Amino acid sequence: MTPRINAGMTLAAVGMMLVMASVYRLPEWEQAVITQFGRPVGSAVTAAGLHLKVPFVQRVRRIDKRILNWDGYPNQIPTKDKKYIEVDTTARWRIVDPLLFIQTVQTEDGARRRLDGILDAITRDTISNHNLVEAVRNTNAILDQIKTRAEKLKKGEISPGDDEEITGEIEPVHVGREALSAIIIKRAAVELKQFGIELIDVQLRRIAYESSVEAKVYDRMTSERQRIAQRIRSVGQGERAKIQGKTNRDLLKIQSEAYRKAQSIKGAADAEAIAIYARAVSGDPQFYEFIRTLEAYKKAIPADTRMILSTDNKFLDLLRQK
Amino acid sequence: MRQIRHRRVGDKKATICIMAERWDDEEQPSSWSDEFRQRFEGRWPIPRQTVLGILGGLLAFAGVVSSAYTVEPEQEAVILRFGRYVSTEPPGLHFKLPFGIDSAIKVRTKVILQEEFGFRTKGTEGTRSAYDENFRQESMTLTGDLNVADVEWILQYQISDPQKYLFQARNVLTNIRDISQSIMRRVVGDRLVSDVLTVGRVEITEEAQRLTQEVLDRYNMGIRIVTIKLQDVNPPEPVKPAFNDVNRAKQEQEQAINQAEEQYNKIIPESEGKAEQTIQDAEGYATSLINRARGDAGRFTAMLQTYRSAPGATRTRLYLEAMEELYGRFKELTLIDPSIKGVLPIFGAPALKESPAPGGHP
Repeated sequence: MTPRINAGMTLAAVGMMLVMASVYRLPEWEQAVITQFGRPVGSAVTAAGLHLKVPFVQRVRRIDKRILNWDGYPNQIPTKDKKYIEVDTTARWRIVDPLLFIQTVQTEDGARRRLDGILDAITRDTISNHNLVEAVRNTNAILDQIKTRAEKLKKGEISPGDDEEITGEIEPVHVGREALSAIIIKRAAVELKQFGIELIDVQLRRIAYESSVEAKVYDRMTSERQRIAQRIRSVGQGERAKIQGKTNRDLLKIQSEAYRKAQSIKGAADAEAIAIYARAVSGDPQFYEFIRTLEAYKKAIPADTRMILSTDNKFLDLLRQK
Repeated sequence: MRQIRHRRVGDKKATICIMAERWDDEEQPSSWSDEFRQRFEGRWPIPRQTVLGILGGLLAFAGVVSSAYTVEPEQEAVILRFGRYVSTEPPGLHFKLPFGIDSAIKVRTKVILQEEFGFRTKGTEGTRSAYDENFRQESMTLTGDLNVADVEWILQYQISDPQKYLFQARNVLTNIRDISQSIMRRVVGDRLVSDVLTVGRVEITEEAQRLTQEVLDRYNMGIRIVTIKLQDVNPPEPVKPAFNDVNRAKQEQEQAINQAEEQYNKIIPESEGKAEQTIQDAEGYATSLINRARGDAGRFTAMLQTYRSAPGATRTRLYLEAMEELYGRFKELTLIDPSIKGVLPIFGAPALKESPAPGGHP
């Protein structure tokens, strides 16, 4: 009995080893290629779970089946319009043909090197074949915006002081950022297919001016702002002048209208007074003249006047007849 | 048997003995184990069944320990059987198949996680957070008019589907960061720098959130973006003074307009009052003029009526009275007979100057 137990235990151990060697587990995020003495056998295993293989002879090469990242080294690329920019790209990729992948690039590191080569070159080509705006802007929405703003300005819905931005020419976009990405993806995907790699996307993560250009860009921004500030100030001065003009206009209008009214009131009064005098005087004009002249003498000739008179006048008649 | 061999083969005794011994050795295990058992059966106080029971118990305990698991309130657990997805379990105490047949991966699905772009929260100093702002590369963004803005933002997200989160992408966080940066640059790239800095903020966040979510959904990453919020958005440091100058210019503009309005408000109502005054004055003048005219006319008419009764006498009287008064106020009166000729030289130049109106005829 005792030897039999021992034998059973041994058998169990051996059996266990056999089972362990002929079974492998594949998690959801992996796929496997079975190799026999280094040569791939059958097609790739992609379903997760427990799988069988020939023990000891076959080996399991595990390969990730999730989306993987590629992070490009920031490149300095001149655009078509000769602007030097730094382009930082990232990509997402996936191993869709593990067999081909193992045969052509073997490891993820190997794949990354290929991705580096292919994506860098294609990104460089694509960027330098287009103007800078194509990599910055996606649409021409900005132009529409400027247009509507200009219309609003024309209609007077916004005051010229609020509008600071219409500065320089804004170049229209013909391709756009997304489309540039699409071009890169399309071209790179073809080349990566031969490695069993599916390229999911390429994102232009960062586009920045190169540091030497940056200073110039800042200078331009500064001068642009200065121009805008100047414009705002002069609009302010203009508005002030307008208001001052309006002030003067209103002032003169008010004053002249008052003058006109006053004059016409006075004129009417004068006319009426003349009529009143005329009516009264017409009774005896000579008498009026006589009285009025005497009154005028009294008023017009001041006291303490030094007078030289000829005796030849009516008042002095008696004086003369000596 | 041993003894027989010894007797028959004398010379070769030694060899045979060795062989025999070796044979004996191979027989040994059974006898050794018997011996072992006997020895222990004699001395071991615990019976064999108990030992087995304890072993079985240990095994069962290990089974329970490796099958029970707790999912914390903020978590969900993804259960894999031999690596294949089986189910997703909510918080609480759960059991799975033991000994590594099932494995549970716990994912913090309820927690809202935050990613920062252009800055990092370093920790807290007292009651406020301290930030590290030294991530210019992340935040410097080209705008649609090819200017540069320093855009900082945060992204808050939640793992909405742990299964997708675990199985779809190896490094979900890197993907989120890459995509968010790319999208933010795209959204900002379609706007003017002034809009980015001022009025466009809400619009930018909304669009960035929508587009980022779209991309993440396309890659099936099991991520739900809770919110994207713009933080500090500034012009680049060297350009700041110029931007501030624009703001100052706006202030000045407003000030200039306000001053002019003030001037207007000061001058116009006053002049309106003055105009009113002028008109009132004119009316006063009119009233007084007419009244005087009427008065004068009335007086004259009255005088005339009386005068008509004795015209000659009245006329003479009036004349003499007037002359009387008039001559009475002269300071100096020189009377010259008309027959005297060349009288002027008498007076000399100074006298002439003092009386500019000589020789009046009444």
